[in-house]
Amino acid sequence: MSDIAVRVNNVSKKFRMYHERNQTLKSTIMRGRRSVHEDFWALKDVTFDVPQGSTFGLIGSNGSGKSTLLKCLASIYFPNEGTIAHKGKLAAMLEVGSGFHAELSGRDNIFLNGSILGMSKKDITSKFDEIVDFSGVEQFIDQPVKNYSSGMFVRLGFAIAINVNPDILVVDEVLAVGDQEFQDKCYQKFQDLREAGRTVILVSHSMGTVEKMCDKAAWISHGTLRAVGDAAPTIQAYKDSLSSNS
Amino acid sequence: MRYLKEVFAARELLVNLTMREVRGKYSRTLFGQLWSLANPLALMVIYTFVFGFIFKTEPDVGDPSGLDAFALWLLCGLLPWTFFATVLNVGIGSLVANTGLIQKVYFTRIVLPLSNVASSAYNWLFEMAVLVIVLSIAGAFVLPWVPLMILIMLLLAMFAAGLALMLSIANVYFRDTQYFLTIILQIWMYLSPIIYPVSLVEQASKDVGGLLGTSVSLIDIYRLNPMDHFITVFRNLLYDNRWPDPVEWLVCFAWASITLILGVLVFQRNDKRLAEAL
Ligand SMILES: Nc1ncnc2c1ncn2[C@@H]1O[C@H](COP(=O)(O)OP(=O)(O)OP(=O)(O)O)[C@@H](O)[C@H]1O
Ligand SMILES: [Mg+2]
Repeated sequence: MSDIAVRVNNVSKKFRMYHERNQTLKSTIMRGRRSVHEDFWALKDVTFDVPQGSTFGLIGSNGSGKSTLLKCLASIYFPNEGTIAHKGKLAAMLEVGSGFHAELSGRDNIFLNGSILGMSKKDITSKFDEIVDFSGVEQFIDQPVKNYSSGMFVRLGFAIAINVNPDILVVDEVLAVGDQEFQDKCYQKFQDLREAGRTVILVSHSMGTVEKMCDKAAWISHGTLRAVGDAAPTIQAYKDSLSSNS
Repeated sequence: MRYLKEVFAARELLVNLTMREVRGKYSRTLFGQLWSLANPLALMVIYTFVFGFIFKTEPDVGDPSGLDAFALWLLCGLLPWTFFATVLNVGIGSLVANTGLIQKVYFTRIVLPLSNVASSAYNWLFEMAVLVIVLSIAGAFVLPWVPLMILIMLLLAMFAAGLALMLSIANVYFRDTQYFLTIILQIWMYLSPIIYPVSLVEQASKDVGGLLGTSVSLIDIYRLNPMDHFITVFRNLLYDNRWPDPVEWLVCFAWASITLILGVLVFQRNDKRLAEAL
């Protein structure tokens, strides 16, 4: 195998499920030392490598742990066991327009969100036109983003994330909101990225999208890795499991 | 050390977040930045009426400035206090208010409370500039003391920032903290020499004598309050126009640096867990 962009090594992630989750002093004092929670393993011993320059799809049913895994990749959560190593700059887009400020204009949000994602002002200024162009919202760029349609919201957020120029781009189910034209644009962009040796990791429930965009895929079920490898067989295995269940 | 480097690398984000708050705060208002003066001015009118006019509190005449105006004397302590209280009140909620951001994007989380400190400091700087102008018009020779005033402002900002960092973390785990804070700040204000001079406390302390048969007097306990020292330095510089006692400087410096270091340490220990704890 050529170079590895992301190495996920025996990663497990545990959440505490509190039976009464009201964060007050009273409940803590009443409870005393004994804490009333159950452990829930959202990820159990997941291991795989993402080769550099691939477009990697993560598939699995609702609640199987895909978003949790992406959050671990993006250093938002930290695994309880195992390690995740990645090579190069990583940008994550986990939710539509996360970090947008509703009252601010699209223009201000590009600068604010860009700097949250770690771009310098100079970077953003030089990429500004490209971002606006890719998002296709130039007409509304000085409007507050609270007036944007949900598709415009995603487009702008995605345009910024892509222009961070990451070596690894992590995307969680955000493409579904965009229209056909935008999805084609993204497809084109992913291909450009791949040709430039960049890695894309994306989660989608649309098997069509995964089939079309990804060359590698991993299937997660109830927190455990079921299959990983080339996209087509992995998707097939997932589809088979669905049809055998019903 | 690595953590400090990370914070330093995020300085541009800190500036952007601060500017967002500064610009956003008074946008769509007619008077803009002037609103920043409204609250202290209202307090000044109330306290001057109640404590200066009705209770006839008489702080010492400014020495050597010769100033003798309760309202001005009050403002020299009130503006630092309102800044301090604002930083704590806003900073404590800074993490909870940005839950969405923390759970969805990775960035150096400490910039959230720090940007609140910075934007409050921006307003405070504006208020203090107006105060310096008014004091000069009233006849105080305050301009030479401005550099030292900025130094003590910096120390107070550090002290407030350290507390805000710890409180913002505490508030993630116990949402009660912010309601406690409101009460504590009220008590704290009356325990600090803001609307009355320390000399009154000294007098009262002499009358009582040593507490419980020890040599510890009321004023010794009173002096444990760091705000007492900060306010004293502010008044010395601005109202009296003289050198504050070096010991006062030392005490302020110690409180500021220890609190800030502690705040950063507490924050650093917790910031990886924030996304889950919120
Ligand atoms: N912060 C949290 N605290 C407790 N449990 C959590 C937390 N985040 C996720 N979980 C649990 O972890 C499991 C996996 O969630 P996750 O969001 O990763 O699923 P997913 O694969 O992205 O599903 P979907 O396809 O619906 O997006 C779920 O059972 C969820 O309840
Ligand atoms: Mg998900």
